[in-house]
Amino acid sequence: MPRLVKRALPLLLLILATGLAACGSSSDNGGSSSATADDGAGGHRGGTLTVLTSQDITSLDPGITYQSLDLNVLASTMRTLYTYEPTAPATLVPDLAAGPPQISDGGKTLTVRIRRGVRFAPPVSREVTARDVKYAIERGFNPNVANAYASTYYGDVVGADRASGGAIAGIQTPDDFTLVFRLTRPTASLLAQSTVLPLSAPVPQEYAKPFDAKAPSQYAAHVVSTGPYMVAADSDGKVLGEGYVPGRSLRLVRNPNWSAAGDHRPAYLDGIDFEIGGSGTVYGRQTLAGRGLVLADPPTPALVKKAYQEARDQIFFSPGAGTRYAALNTAIPPFDDANVRKAVAAALDREQMRRVRGGEVIGDIASHFLYPGVQGFEKAGGLEGTGVDFLAHPEGDTALAARYMRAAGYPSGRYTGGETLQIVGLAGAPDSNDAQIFDQTLQDLGFKTSLKLVDSGVMYGRFCGVPRARVHACPNVGWIRDFADPQTVLNLAFNGNFIFPENNPNWPQLNDAAINRAMARGELTVGDAARASAWAEIDRMITATAAAVPWLYDRQPNVFAADVRCVPELWNQGHCDFAYTSLKP
Amino acid sequence: MAAYVLRRVLWGVVLLALVSLLTFVVFYVLPSADPAQLRAGRNADPATLAQIRQNLGLDRPLTAQYWTFLTHLVLHADLGFSYYSGASVGSLLVDRLPATISLTFGAVVIWVLVAVPLGVVAAVRRGTWVDKLTTGGALLGISAPVYWLGLLALYLFADDIGTFPLLPGAGSYVPLTDDPWQWLTSLILPWLVLASTFTAVYARLLRGNMIEVLSEDYVRTARAKGLSERRVVWNHGLRAAVTPLVTLAGLDIGLLLGGAVLTEAVFGIPGIGRLNYEAIVHADYPVIQGTVLLAACFVIVANIAVDVAYAYLDPRVREQ
Repeated sequence: MPRLVKRALPLLLLILATGLAACGSSSDNGGSSSATADDGAGGHRGGTLTVLTSQDITSLDPGITYQSLDLNVLASTMRTLYTYEPTAPATLVPDLAAGPPQISDGGKTLTVRIRRGVRFAPPVSREVTARDVKYAIERGFNPNVANAYASTYYGDVVGADRASGGAIAGIQTPDDFTLVFRLTRPTASLLAQSTVLPLSAPVPQEYAKPFDAKAPSQYAAHVVSTGPYMVAADSDGKVLGEGYVPGRSLRLVRNPNWSAAGDHRPAYLDGIDFEIGGSGTVYGRQTLAGRGLVLADPPTPALVKKAYQEARDQIFFSPGAGTRYAALNTAIPPFDDANVRKAVAAALDREQMRRVRGGEVIGDIASHFLYPGVQGFEKAGGLEGTGVDFLAHPEGDTALAARYMRAAGYPSGRYTGGETLQIVGLAGAPDSNDAQIFDQTLQDLGFKTSLKLVDSGVMYGRFCGVPRARVHACPNVGWIRDFADPQTVLNLAFNGNFIFPENNPNWPQLNDAAINRAMARGELTVGDAARASAWAEIDRMITATAAAVPWLYDRQPNVFAADVRCVPELWNQGHCDFAYTSLKP
Repeated sequence: MAAYVLRRVLWGVVLLALVSLLTFVVFYVLPSADPAQLRAGRNADPATLAQIRQNLGLDRPLTAQYWTFLTHLVLHADLGFSYYSGASVGSLLVDRLPATISLTFGAVVIWVLVAVPLGVVAAVRRGTWVDKLTTGGALLGISAPVYWLGLLALYLFADDIGTFPLLPGAGSYVPLTDDPWQWLTSLILPWLVLASTFTAVYARLLRGNMIEVLSEDYVRTARAKGLSERRVVWNHGLRAAVTPLVTLAGLDIGLLLGGAVLTEAVFGIPGIGRLNYEAIVHADYPVIQGTVLLAACFVIVANIAVDVAYAYLDPRVREQ
């Protein structure tokens, strides 16, 4: 009991300090009591927006990156084949494409017509053709570029299995404005959706090839835009040290070759200046008090509280920002026993885990893995859940947990084994508080535990993503969709075929033959509605295994200055979309 | 003297080699994040991860990686490229160094100008209210964490978020060559914050040294010879009392030139310390190695400078 008090005290203090528990316990819907999602129509033209971020961008190369902040930049500098409108995170709209994707041959051929009149920014300054998209995708397989998702989403293109940067036979350009993908399997639906990712943004081969010949590719330092904005560059197109100074600044200016005709983006701003690398705490305060500022960092709990209490028009809670869950290692005892896993799921106080993060405003209690904004979420049970008894009580159900423990062969309802469980969580509040709640739950069930709190890179890279590390549970893991298709949430994270010796994304190491087979069928399902149904059923199957305990559907808070009309990218954590955002006059 | 300096320089080179080896070993032995995985993201399969490792040269044996680093450094003065941004480490250091130098030397000037008179007066007026105020203030200065003090300064005096908006706040730093006036005003708060801790430490140390020195026989002799009290204190007392502080100052300046991480972070100053911090977060080994070696260089150079200064201040050292 003293240990419980000792562990609970910091949590209590945190709650009292932030005061957000009060916000969370009200009957108001947290999301709707802050700023609402603005579509940006009729914005004021002109002005420069300043973006404050303590974290640097990862890369400006559309062939390399797909981190959240980078996507935020690329959304206004690159034109991918398809995209999402900021406030419609599941509806594919043509961007560089001239119309909807044409799927034929039973899902084995995808044809995309390219819009005419789109031009590269200086120094290339010529019209974009289908060959530029073809090269962009092919270079993703170049070892010097090594795109992380090319093989995942373009792997079924004929010839992609042998690709190393040269021409891929299955990507054809019958004319300058037509792109045809021929596939080995009927996965054109998924491929069409995946073209919202930056790999489909055109890259001019004659310009980029010398940079791509270097290992690693130096194209990021000379990147060429097609969107309304471009990274400021010298006359040769070099952006490194000009518009982008690593760790210091990034300057987006208007692309002189961009034309509003044929683009859905209004592009109100004259420019966007990034200030990189300062203190997130100070940046937060500056954003709330200043003018023309946007905070790109996740705000601190103290800032969320301040904004929520004093400036609700300056904070937006973006729904559909991912699922958080606790992964239980199904490959080793004691969590190789489904009843033990269900006992943990039943006992875990997910309500408290949410409360220490800020309560209702920051998200809904999760009860399965597809989350709001992903196709199939409602079909899998929506916020009500899939109906499993061990997730029916968000505040925890110790009686049910004891029943599951007895079913697992522990007559007392408590674990009596001798080993110490290795738990690895994230350091730093509120993540560490969530890890401690999870750890305490295990102890209450009779487990001996050793909790290790580390930073995110170490947690995934050295422990939770490395099966030989033999970590028993990882309470702070989570998944964010790559795009609206449900396969992007479930396949890598729970497919037994993707248990890798390192960088393993299947943290529970779930290898269930029935689920693997269902996923194989789901991959080949054609059509959005059919895919949503198929993957919703897979979601139910995964949830029933209790291989992981879902505990939060994130709403990501985003903070901006009072004079900023922020149009949040609901498909990307709610970052303000620079091509739609404007400054109030 | 020249032989002595040369000997110290050679030892410095050996020390740098050891520091680089230690940094390398620490980076790979302790559980840090994997740079290839950080770049790859969670979707990357083993083949893609292997490609990224190859690109970054991480697939080679550790000894080969270290040897390549060492030979490039010695033969071409090349510290390699950042895993994260792709920029050359040398250019990153050159880009960040002016801010750190500006921050360090401004703070040094302030803490010397404040700490020396305070320490002397407190020692001479021992037990008076001046002494008590100095000692109490020093205790506060030493106790207050720089990060907290920085935030406090910004919340009170920054022109954007301060209650009394007097001075430019975080993120206002510009290089001296761009706008000297803004450079000066943007650094006043960081200088004061960074200098506060050092002022407190140095004032306390100097006070203690002065009290000890002023009770020495040669000081009594100086007084007996009829020298003015001012001359006794400043010429005979301070010169002896300040010598140990020179050693400390040398080390502190060297360390600060290696990066005042917290001050740079709070005030958004793009210096070496912040670069080092970002590199650690991103497991960007070449940048970590570059910043650590630079810091080590500064400490070694500062040590040599201190030894030379010692010889100037203390005739006994010169004779040895």
